[in-house]
Amino acid sequence: MPTAYPLPSDVSPATVANTASFIRIVTLALISGAAIASRLFAVINFESIIHEFDPWFNYRATRVLATKGFYEFWNWFDPTAWYPLGRVVGGTVYPGLMATSGVIYNFLHAINLPVDIRNICVLLAPGFSALTAWATYMLTKEMKDSSAGLLAAAFIGIVPGYISRSVAGSYDNEAIAIFLLMFTFYLWIKAIKIGSALYGTLTAVFYFYMVAAWGGYAFITNMIPLHALVLILMGRFSNRLYVGYSSWYAIGTLASMQVPFVGFQPVKTSEHMGALGVFGLLQIVAFTQLVRSHISDQQFQKLLKTGVVTIGLTGALVFGLMTYKGWIAPWTGRFYSLWDTGYAKKYIPIIASVSEHQPTAWPSFFMDLQFLIFLFPAGVILCFRQLRDEHVFVIIYAVMASYFAGVMVRLMLTLTPVVCVAAAITISTLLDIYIDPSEPEIADNKTDSSAAPTDPPTPSNGASQATPKKAKKSTPTSSQNTITDAIHQLTSSGSTTKSRQKGIFGLDSRLVIVANAFFMLAFFVFHCTWVTSHAYSSPSVVLASQNPDGSQHIIDDFREAYYWLRQNTPQDAVVMSWWDYGYQIAGMADRPTLVDNNTWNNTHIATVGKAMSSNEDVAYPILRKHDVDYVLVIFGALIGYSGDDINKFLWMIRIAQGVWPDEIRESDFFTARGEYKVDNEATPTMKSSLMYKMSYYRFNDLFGGRPGMDRVRQQQLPQQGPTLDILDEAFTSENWIVRIYQVKKEDILGRDHKSANAFTGGKKRKRSKPVPRRRALAL
Amino acid sequence: MPLGWRTLPQLLFVALASIIHTSCSAAAAETGVAFENSAIVRTVALGGSVVHVTTTIAIKSLADEQDIYTVSFPRRERDASSFLEVRVKNQKDPLQIREKPFYGNAKFTEVDVVLPEKLAVNATLNLVVETIQTHMTDPWPEFASQTDQQALRYTTDLYVISRYPTLVQRTKIKALVPRIISYTTPTNVDAFTTGNVVAKSGAVVTYGPFSSIPVSTNKDFLKTYQQPVTVRYYHEQPVLEVTSYKRAVEISHWGSNINTEDQVILKNAGPKLKGHFSRVDYQGQLYKGSQVPHVLHSLSLDLPPGIDNVYYYDQIGNVSTSKLNVAPAVAKGEPVVKTSLLNMKLRYPLMGGWNYTFTVGWDADLAGVAGYNSATGEYNVEIPIMTTIPGAVVNQHELKIVLPEGATDVEVVTPYPSLTLWLDKHTAYLDTIGRPAIMFEYKDLTPAHAKNIYVRYKLSSGDHFRKPVAVSAVFFGLFFFTFVVRRIDLTIPKKQKAT
Repeated sequence: MPTAYPLPSDVSPATVANTASFIRIVTLALISGAAIASRLFAVINFESIIHEFDPWFNYRATRVLATKGFYEFWNWFDPTAWYPLGRVVGGTVYPGLMATSGVIYNFLHAINLPVDIRNICVLLAPGFSALTAWATYMLTKEMKDSSAGLLAAAFIGIVPGYISRSVAGSYDNEAIAIFLLMFTFYLWIKAIKIGSALYGTLTAVFYFYMVAAWGGYAFITNMIPLHALVLILMGRFSNRLYVGYSSWYAIGTLASMQVPFVGFQPVKTSEHMGALGVFGLLQIVAFTQLVRSHISDQQFQKLLKTGVVTIGLTGALVFGLMTYKGWIAPWTGRFYSLWDTGYAKKYIPIIASVSEHQPTAWPSFFMDLQFLIFLFPAGVILCFRQLRDEHVFVIIYAVMASYFAGVMVRLMLTLTPVVCVAAAITISTLLDIYIDPSEPEIADNKTDSSAAPTDPPTPSNGASQATPKKAKKSTPTSSQNTITDAIHQLTSSGSTTKSRQKGIFGLDSRLVIVANAFFMLAFFVFHCTWVTSHAYSSPSVVLASQNPDGSQHIIDDFREAYYWLRQNTPQDAVVMSWWDYGYQIAGMADRPTLVDNNTWNNTHIATVGKAMSSNEDVAYPILRKHDVDYVLVIFGALIGYSGDDINKFLWMIRIAQGVWPDEIRESDFFTARGEYKVDNEATPTMKSSLMYKMSYYRFNDLFGGRPGMDRVRQQQLPQQGPTLDILDEAFTSENWIVRIYQVKKEDILGRDHKSANAFTGGKKRKRSKPVPRRRALAL
Repeated sequence: MPLGWRTLPQLLFVALASIIHTSCSAAAAETGVAFENSAIVRTVALGGSVVHVTTTIAIKSLADEQDIYTVSFPRRERDASSFLEVRVKNQKDPLQIREKPFYGNAKFTEVDVVLPEKLAVNATLNLVVETIQTHMTDPWPEFASQTDQQALRYTTDLYVISRYPTLVQRTKIKALVPRIISYTTPTNVDAFTTGNVVAKSGAVVTYGPFSSIPVSTNKDFLKTYQQPVTVRYYHEQPVLEVTSYKRAVEISHWGSNINTEDQVILKNAGPKLKGHFSRVDYQGQLYKGSQVPHVLHSLSLDLPPGIDNVYYYDQIGNVSTSKLNVAPAVAKGEPVVKTSLLNMKLRYPLMGGWNYTFTVGWDADLAGVAGYNSATGEYNVEIPIMTTIPGAVVNQHELKIVLPEGATDVEVVTPYPSLTLWLDKHTAYLDTIGRPAIMFEYKDLTPAHAKNIYVRYKLSSGDHFRKPVAVSAVFFGLFFFTFVVRRIDLTIPKKQKAT
């Protein structure tokens, strides 16, 4: 057979196999290295620090677990969070992440490697990303072959969509969850492929780990049943599916109920009903199969009809009744917001106020996935060509995840793995075809040439492509021939023209495609590196700016203020701030907070929102009743930091309005023309609100008495700055980003703060009779 | 257990200077008046938390064969003094001293000084008694706002007490800047002076001269004549206290490295901030150059030359605002000409009463501080007890010296004894039996205490190789385990297919 380029002929198959396996291992190791290394930008550019908001809580909880042990963590009641309510931490977290770090910590200490718990937390996500790459490799290998697997591993290793949640320091549940997601899926595929109860059980074990680690486990809880359901509907019910699903569901559900935060949800909430329903359905189908093998066809038809109707009706009735009785929880708001993107904004502003719950913008698909996003559909279509059970899984996964990724930014994370898998299948198929050296044979006789194209794309054919070297030996693969053949048959309906041999001729045509693919891959690497280093590696606790000479200047206001709180205020001083900063204050300042990022109690958050958006007279009793000692606001107007509290203020108002619609009205904060202003035109409600006052208190003084300039909103402030009666400015950070105010105690002479302030300010109390004016009138 | 642990009780102490915890056995000459003080000049150099008191005593022997001179201190000052050194004037070496035991309620204490030679009758000698007092000043007023000055006050006794009669004595109290606010004018001094009791000139307040003071270490004198005098003065530096200073030094022969890490809890012990901190006012002060001197903005530390991997962080991470100038390393034994300078900015300006904690650490070449005596097979390492924080007193100091794993025959030579000393075990990277760690505890250290400790230990070549051997053994075990496991077939044999 002619080849496009010479191949060595004196190599034994064993050598080829060994070399390929060695190269695979080395490649996987390199991919792991690249995955870890590209996540270290944050550590190199900044430092080994925990990022953002939620990770600070996870870090704090992990420290408790590492220093005090697991039981202490399990029973941890944190009185400093949600003051004065407190929080039962052990029962309200997914402990998987902390437990993982705790195990690593204890293991390292047991072998006398005293690694700091912070470094374990910081580097956990990069470490697990290497495992994710491996799990993706295993999964894709099941889909196509190991070369596709390696491509998928490389993609998932550096794709920004996944890096965004797993850079070093981003110590969040997602850090380990994506690995667990991929590995559980791999085990599931393996389980139904070989019908093994062992793999089903392993799936359940990793499912349990996933449940313990991330609230997104519901994705698996619904993906696997959906896959099973589709297979049944496609008439692909088999004992392998039965064994795999049943062992997963039974063990997985029981195991997942051991996580305290999950508890009885798997049998009570609607999200989990699908899995239960499919489990039931599988039993019925299996039973039907059994019955069918024992009775005649006619009887069976009758039995089937009655059986299906009865069981369907009973099931629906029971489900309805249980929902009605409240045994099964109705759908939650978060669930509705998955289907109606406007729902959250209307009914649950607290969910909508989180930026990662917003619908995804189109550019972010390209930013997060680059060229994978247009290879992804091709990969999904390629899955249709063989359509084994596992390909059905990828197709369902692709459809579901695409939808969810469009609804919520953060669900981009669940889409990314399947995009990598599908794109890897595409690229790998492309390269398989174009690197394959075998030249199409010049048609000598018609019968020979027509034999190959008519070869249907059966699964067995796909299996024969399991490794590239096999593909090399095989005759020209039928894949491209099928398509071209189909086109050919369409264009030339009559068989008037002599059928030409299809295929790729020569080295140049191969090189063009391969070089193009290589170029895309190389450009993808540059894109990923650029996005990772510029967009996803900022800890957001520390801000970076550039000095005039180009060197990096660190703006460290958050830690400055938090550390001040930690060192110079009483241990039990209660700090009130917007909930975004709750975890950071608890983690870095070690002080009790009113609300934090857990957001379980909407009323409590609304109370803080109300205090922030009311005037001083209304706010003071709220502050005092909650024992607030310090109020912390984030203020970006001086250096133009746009993520400040004035910009978040509308959400505070909306959330407060949700609970006190009579007292707080969003419209009061907008000017007559409907603008959100902080300058002279700002509404009186705005100007008298505590948030406005705290933000701009003495801001004008910085400008030598002239009106200050708000660099975030590009507005000139009023000439007369706000005054504060119930609060004292206690600390302001270097760039004014964090401002901390101390709440005054009740005046010891029983005066209200306004008159007490006026007295200390040397002003006389206004008499009821304005004497001078009357005298002037008399003149 | 390494052998070295048992040798601990024989640890060698060379007490160069001490007033604390020195048991005294020698009974000093109690017979009558052996000396006469021709003149006493006490100079008090006021500072923040550290006050230097230098007393020059011109003594004259009244009897023959005198070699013990006894110095007396008021109890309050003895308790506050963390450093005492007695020298002959213009000589470098300190004299040997022995503190006498005293009762808990004693009003004064005594220290015997062993004179360099026996004095004959009428022989004279000038002694310089140097003490450093800590925590003797207090801010007054106790609160100062962000724009206020910092005023301190210092109280001491008017007369220098002595168990010998004194012909003439005076006390000079010196502030750093000539801004003394007020001072006590003593009354009831007619017995010893007729002239001016107190005079102020510039930064110095002088009490005396007082002449013909009798033996003053008795109740009568203390009750009748002794009286406190207080000086209030402006102090233009922050009053710093290090509430806790923990230094850990780790010696590694494999890395030829000595790592030092200091954990410091710092406090501005000046007047507490009145009201609140205002950033606008603070920035205004910076802009106008009118910042008040008692606010600590940054701290400069003199670190050893030739260090690398310097880090500066606190409980919540790295502090990025520091500058470091590393001086080149000097060979062992050479005098240090230039030290590395670490200028670190605190996270926030340290106002009166505020706290701050930080950790500073660095690596240095072990060869620069360690020597090896091939004759005895001993290593000798020189370790500084602390890094001076300018003007600060260290309330609690803990020094932990971690020796290499397997070090034996540990000996330490300390410049002054520690409060406590014990041997601990420290287990770190890839250790199997743990490393011996020597723990020292000190109290009230001043810049004068920044001296070196010498540690000697033996380390056999077997101990050098303990770590690689342990690691190799573990890896070999792992490989062997896999080797065995891979060759065990645990699969349940498939059912024979029915034919």
